Amino acid sequence: MPGRRTPPGLTVQLERIVVVGHGIAGLTASDSLRAAGFDGELTIVGDEHHAPYSRPALSKAALLDAEEMTSHQLPASTHEARELLGVRALQLDPGLKSVVLDDGSILPYDGLVVATGSRARRLASADPAARRHELTLRTLEDALELRRRIVDKPSVVVVGGGALGMEIASGCLAAGCDVTLASHRQPMAQQLGRYLSEVFLAAGLDHGLRLAPSQAVGLREADGHPLVELADGSRLAADLVVSAIGDIPNTGWLADSGILTNGRLEVDSRSRVRPDIVAAGDVAAFPTARGVGRIPLWTSAIEQSKTAALALLNGDDAPELEFRPYFWTEQFGLSLKASGFLPLEGTPEFLEGGPGGGPALMRWTHQDSSGTAVALNYRIPIPKLRRLANPAPALVETPALVETPA
Amino acid sequence: MEIILDRPRCEGHGLCEEVAPQLMHLDDDGELVLDVVHVDEGQLEAAKQAARVCPVAALRLA
Ligand SMILES: Cc1cc2nc3c(=O)[nH]c(=O)nc-3n(C[C@H](O)[C@H](O)[C@H](O)COP(=O)(O)OP(=O)(O)OC[C@H]3O[C@@H](n4cnc5c(N)ncnc54)[C@H](O)[C@@H]3O)c2cc1C
Ligand code: SF4
Repeated sequence: MPGRRTPPGLTVQLERIVVVGHGIAGLTASDSLRAAGFDGELTIVGDEHHAPYSRPALSKAALLDAEEMTSHQLPASTHEARELLGVRALQLDPGLKSVVLDDGSILPYDGLVVATGSRARRLASADPAARRHELTLRTLEDALELRRRIVDKPSVVVVGGGALGMEIASGCLAAGCDVTLASHRQPMAQQLGRYLSEVFLAAGLDHGLRLAPSQAVGLREADGHPLVELADGSRLAADLVVSAIGDIPNTGWLADSGILTNGRLEVDSRSRVRPDIVAAGDVAAFPTARGVGRIPLWTSAIEQSKTAALALLNGDDAPELEFRPYFWTEQFGLSLKASGFLPLEGTPEFLEGGPGGGPALMRWTHQDSSGTAVALNYRIPIPKLRRLANPAPALVETPALVETPA
Repeated sequence: MEIILDRPRCEGHGLCEEVAPQLMHLDDDGELVLDVVHVDEGQLEAAKQAARVCPVAALRLA
């Protein structure tokens, strides 16, 4: 019978699982449900029209792919779920255990995976005419549009000095555009800390990047061209504006559901919102050693989704999320991998190489004695990088910080 | 099933090795080496996960 439950304490019997969101989180959760033996009805609802793809590739290789863009493609799925693509979830009723879709249908579930990700934040603009000049980079369509627009080598203002803004700036420069980056913080400082941000900024300037060290506060149009308004009162003119100023979790469809906490979708250490609802990926705020928050990154989404799938099937018997931060970026000829919490304060200890932008293996030790290992233009297996981050066996005990008291 | 590596695509992230160390590893130069090419039933799930985690889809199964 649909909705049949076994007595409390035992594993819940689920017959219908609905996954909302068809990005890497929804895909991984679906694969993981199948791998764990769930052979009931699995339905995936996703408002994008295509199969899941790799978003990280969109701001890296995909901007540079010669003829056709292929770097974003992922291998075909094997979960054999019913996929409702191009369909959006509008509302959740956790009492009735159903999801209302924008095609008018209602999907009942025994178990629900929320994996609706996030969307790009845009600049505030009082001028509707100016909006058409502002691109963001989140979806495949965004990437195709950006590729189309940079073919003619326009002048570009990239707004936002995070990893995404810097990768976009790097891609646009490589395509032959004239690029100015507007960022009130030193680029990459918020993500990586002062030391590494200097290295990235130097590489950027070296590649011809111009920096406007002020916050973009608005966007206007003048003579058919966009004007970015800066907090210091000046304006930047360009042919094209690309904003990379953060992401907003897609929780709108959950607004009336009662499962949000202060507007956030918070999950426990097993990615559960409640026993029959789990959430994973960019949409979810989860407990980490540094508090409850979203960590909108690729491996974070994958690890959360695996945890979420098992928790939905096995409840408290499922393993808790063992979140191990991993970050990488490629820009201006630099390739960085980092294992451990970011940003990084102070200067590193050099395990290989030395200061400057050359190949190096570095380590920072945090106050709680955990560490972060960083490989810069240095090929190294991730398991090895992780071991360098936390070499001492004593440090295995630090996850105690993550555990929420029962 | 066979694991196929599109070598020019591989960026040496090693995320695949992390989920399937029994099937592949990065060598000292950071080049990915497939230790197992023909995967059996018992290795299939690990192979699938490795292909899935790669952010540039350099691995596939056929
Ligand atoms: C350009 C770019 C570069 C990146 N680079 C890196 C990187 O180098 N390293 C790294 O670690 N991370 C990177 N990231 C972040 C990483 O890609 C994300 O963390 C990851 O893709 C999140 O996956 P997700 O499945 O949680 O969310 P998403 O991929 O956003 O998937 C959610 C899906 O749900 C759909 N959806 C939303 N609302 C609804 C609804 N109501 N009904 C139905 N469907 C809905 C969305 O359209 C989307 O398809 C990058 C992101 C971008 C955009
Ligand atoms: S995860 Fe992909 S890019 Fe990274 S080493 Fe494996 S195959 Fe290569």
